[in-house]
Amino acid sequence: MLKNYFKIAIAVLKRRKFFTFISLFGISFTLTILIVLTAFVDHLFSPSYPDPNRDRELFVNRIRLEASKKNGMSMSPLSFYFFDHYVAALKTPSKIAVYTNGEMSNGYKDNRKIVVELKYTNQVFWDVYQFQFLEGKPFTGGQLENRDKVVVISAATRAKYFGEEAQALGKYIEANNTQYRVVGVVKPVPFLNNFCYADLYLPYTLVQDNLKDQSLQGRFCATIQVSSSRDLPALKKEFAGMISKLPRSDESYDLIYCYPDEYLEVLTRGLLGQGKDKSTGKAFLIFGSFLLLFMLLPTINLVNINLSRIMERSSEIGVRKAFGASARTLTYQFIVENLILTLFGGLLGLIFSLVVLHVLNASDLSPNMELKINPVVLFYSLLACLVFGLLSGVYPAWRMSKINVVTALKANN
Amino acid sequence: MIKHLFKLIWNKKKENFLLISEILISFLVIFAVFSSITYNYLNYREPAGFKYDDVWMADLGSPVQGENKDSVMLVFANLKNALKGMPKVRDVSLSSNNVPFSSSMMGSGVEYGHVNIQSDMYRVDKDFAKVLQMKMQSGRWFNETDRNPVYLPVVLNAAAAMALTGSANAVGKLVKMEHQTLRVIGVADNLKDKSDFKTTSPGIYTLIDTSSIRGINTMLIKVSANADARFEDQMYRLIAGTTRAHNLQVAHLSEMRTKKNKEIIVPMVILLIISGFLIFNVALGLFGVLWYNISKRRSEIGLRRALGATAAGVSGQLLGEALVLATFSLIIGSFFAVQFPLLHVYDLPAGVYMIALLLSVLFIYLLVIVCALYPGKQAAAIHPAVALHED
Repeated sequence: MLKNYFKIAIAVLKRRKFFTFISLFGISFTLTILIVLTAFVDHLFSPSYPDPNRDRELFVNRIRLEASKKNGMSMSPLSFYFFDHYVAALKTPSKIAVYTNGEMSNGYKDNRKIVVELKYTNQVFWDVYQFQFLEGKPFTGGQLENRDKVVVISAATRAKYFGEEAQALGKYIEANNTQYRVVGVVKPVPFLNNFCYADLYLPYTLVQDNLKDQSLQGRFCATIQVSSSRDLPALKKEFAGMISKLPRSDESYDLIYCYPDEYLEVLTRGLLGQGKDKSTGKAFLIFGSFLLLFMLLPTINLVNINLSRIMERSSEIGVRKAFGASARTLTYQFIVENLILTLFGGLLGLIFSLVVLHVLNASDLSPNMELKINPVVLFYSLLACLVFGLLSGVYPAWRMSKINVVTALKANN
Repeated sequence: MIKHLFKLIWNKKKENFLLISEILISFLVIFAVFSSITYNYLNYREPAGFKYDDVWMADLGSPVQGENKDSVMLVFANLKNALKGMPKVRDVSLSSNNVPFSSSMMGSGVEYGHVNIQSDMYRVDKDFAKVLQMKMQSGRWFNETDRNPVYLPVVLNAAAAMALTGSANAVGKLVKMEHQTLRVIGVADNLKDKSDFKTTSPGIYTLIDTSSIRGINTMLIKVSANADARFEDQMYRLIAGTTRAHNLQVAHLSEMRTKKNKEIIVPMVILLIISGFLIFNVALGLFGVLWYNISKRRSEIGLRRALGATAAGVSGQLLGEALVLATFSLIIGSFFAVQFPLLHVYDLPAGVYMIALLLSVLFIYLLVIVCALYPGKQAAAIHPAVALHED
């Protein structure tokens, strides 16, 4: 039976080539955009190099202090003291990576300017993030304690300073008006992962501020790892308890907002929640309504075209009805036909998106971005395809199945 | 004639419902696109108000360390002198870190009488206007005489002066900021300093003094056109050595501007590409459906031709029908569109929406005409004898 439908569908597709082109164009284009979008979202959120354990990690990157009496507010990363004194005392975390946000600086070499992003990290950072070392290894605890001027650089930075394929281990590079000895070279990480992206990784002991300063605000962020994702709620609870006990005063600030967040939450809280609300629901709502609006137009377009195509076949439908085909059989047939068309368009869309992703990866839109179609993306695209096919097929099929036999046969064109 | 066309469409409202909703949604998409293009274009056309060529920014990363505020003042004074002594340096100014094209923002409430506005706040020194070649509208910029006055002097930009004092001259007026009373000594041109596509907002300039020197860690340096990377290297070492800066970065305002503009241009281009494809898709669909409808009405058209309608009359009627269809959608769409300026959904001036509305209406009509032209011509070419014979 299905084979028969398939044959009919192909025959119909061949008959009105212009309509077929419009349908296929609409489906494949919409799908391309959806696949590229999901690949991008996947690149942003799914655990990947160098952060494979993201599902059992929480991120702390900002604290919001409010003085409700004076209507004052300030938001910034945290102090080293906060992590060293308060967070380290928590019982749930198994590992705490502490590091600064990326800070820009310059180096000059052979009358060239090299702009670099620096990150100061602790020792555990190299344990939490599984960097792939092309040369050397991370700096040691001893070097950290001695405030040795050592640095781990990314392969991209190595290329900038020493040229492609050169060895950098043990050589000195200059940035920030200081000579640092290279102890390791790592495979570059995606630019959009700003928790671990940098060009130079330095021991945190080299920052020149007072690390014992007891104020809450400073320049540090942290990734807190627990032994299993089941411990995440416990960690959040323990953290909230710790925050509620922090000293505060009416003078400087009386409200403190600071949360350990999962990867998606930490982004939405910053972008939409002003450091206060989690806002994941809001983010899904915005993203969802955008997707819906975006898919609505091609869907209506497709419904319109399908309607024209099906009405064109009214005589065929009339004959089949006259010979006893039920409305359900006919609806079923047309939906299947439409699904075949959509899947065909989906295949084209897949090919287009491979091309687009290749172009995007090759462009320097975002350094080290590697968008790819993984099984999850493929699954969702396929799902989108089916939904698309159903949405655009159901209404025309329903309209068609309502056709009166007599009128259909009489119209005869 | 038009009434007749409306009646024709109305009689077939069920068949035309999908077509109308398709045009309606395309109109809304186009309206959104045109709104953002119009807004950005109008901002782009505004004058920058300053010159960013050959201006470098030095960001010291962290505040300068010193025993007390006076010694920090001294460090900066020495650094300024040392920089000005360099051959390719024209002018140097200290600044808070919200220099042009940076991502930093600093704001404060400013009060004049009952008027209270939120304004950007810039802490600068007396050479700031020279470095950026700012122009004054009235009054003067800071100078040496501004040490220890009764009221601290401030300079407003035109937008702030307009918001605070209206059309009256702001120079000489006293304004309040952070519980301090300040005297306005001048009104400067608006600086379009966020990016080429960002509108100017109220801004207030205050002079850096010992009380505010702690938070200052940025400098703007005007250099001559032939300053190269070798010179930059020398300057970098000088600044790093003098201030013992922690994460010193030197960047060129022109490069920072390109980066800031990209933040607007890249999403705009993506938006244009996507909506371009969407509209192309819709146009094809519209074309297909109109064509199909006409082929279905061959006998009707044949009859009209037989009764003496001209070819132009027939294609005109079909075009008219398509336009009436579009008008239905546009009336509904405009109803939604005018809600944006009425309800202040986004913080855009109403004029932007009006221009966008006009452009989108024109665009949709144009789109419909283009899509209906060929099918209309096809219909006009129908030979009455053939069409009527088929029936």
